[in-house]
Amino acid sequence: MSELFKSFQISASAMQAQAQRIRHVTENIANADTPGYRRKVTSFENVVSQGMTEGMIRTAPVTLDRSPLTQIYDPSHPLADDSGYYEGSNVNSIVEIADAREAQRSYEANLKMFDQARQMSKGLLELLRR
Amino acid sequence: MDVKSTIAAQNYAAIRPATAPSVSPGGTEALRGLGTEFATFLQNGEETVKAGMTGQADAQALVQALAQTELAVETAVTIRNKVVEAYQEILRMPV
Repeated sequence: MSELFKSFQISASAMQAQAQRIRHVTENIANADTPGYRRKVTSFENVVSQGMTEGMIRTAPVTLDRSPLTQIYDPSHPLADDSGYYEGSNVNSIVEIADAREAQRSYEANLKMFDQARQMSKGLLELLRR
Repeated sequence: MDVKSTIAAQNYAAIRPATAPSVSPGGTEALRGLGTEFATFLQNGEETVKAGMTGQADAQALVQALAQTELAVETAVTIRNKVVEAYQEILRMPV
């Protein structure tokens, strides 16, 4: 039974990580119009406890996308320089939507695995019941 | 005749220890281990639910703890039913 409980833990940790990823995507989209905003990139890493990996994952410390910011021409903007340009964000909506969709698919897959483990352990107990 | 009854009495006395209830340590130890594990799961579930209600735990942890608790309770109930059923089977034995 503890193996099945372990897969509960692993899929719950993965769902948690995907939830954090979708939060970062939301932040990126919310800040798409913020001048000078660099999009946050989510990466994942294994959870290491006592020098061992047990299959659980978590999000690694967030990194910022170093690609150049978009130059927006608006001389009336308070942040505009002498040539009339100011730096916008480097958020690309299509990339963010794709990332969000990927997070959703991964979340669904982990949810399915959670349910699978639950059904397996229930089936095992069903044997004792008759 | 008298000798026979003495022998019979001796035989009965010799058989008596076999019917005396004895506590086998193995079974009860295993059951105790199962019980403590069950209690731990239950406690863990309660704490996580409490943390979830106050916004300190996320939904995934809440669901995980609840699913684990549900399975632990189901396991305990199923095993209890099985044990009670076994006792009833013994009680139904024609003596």
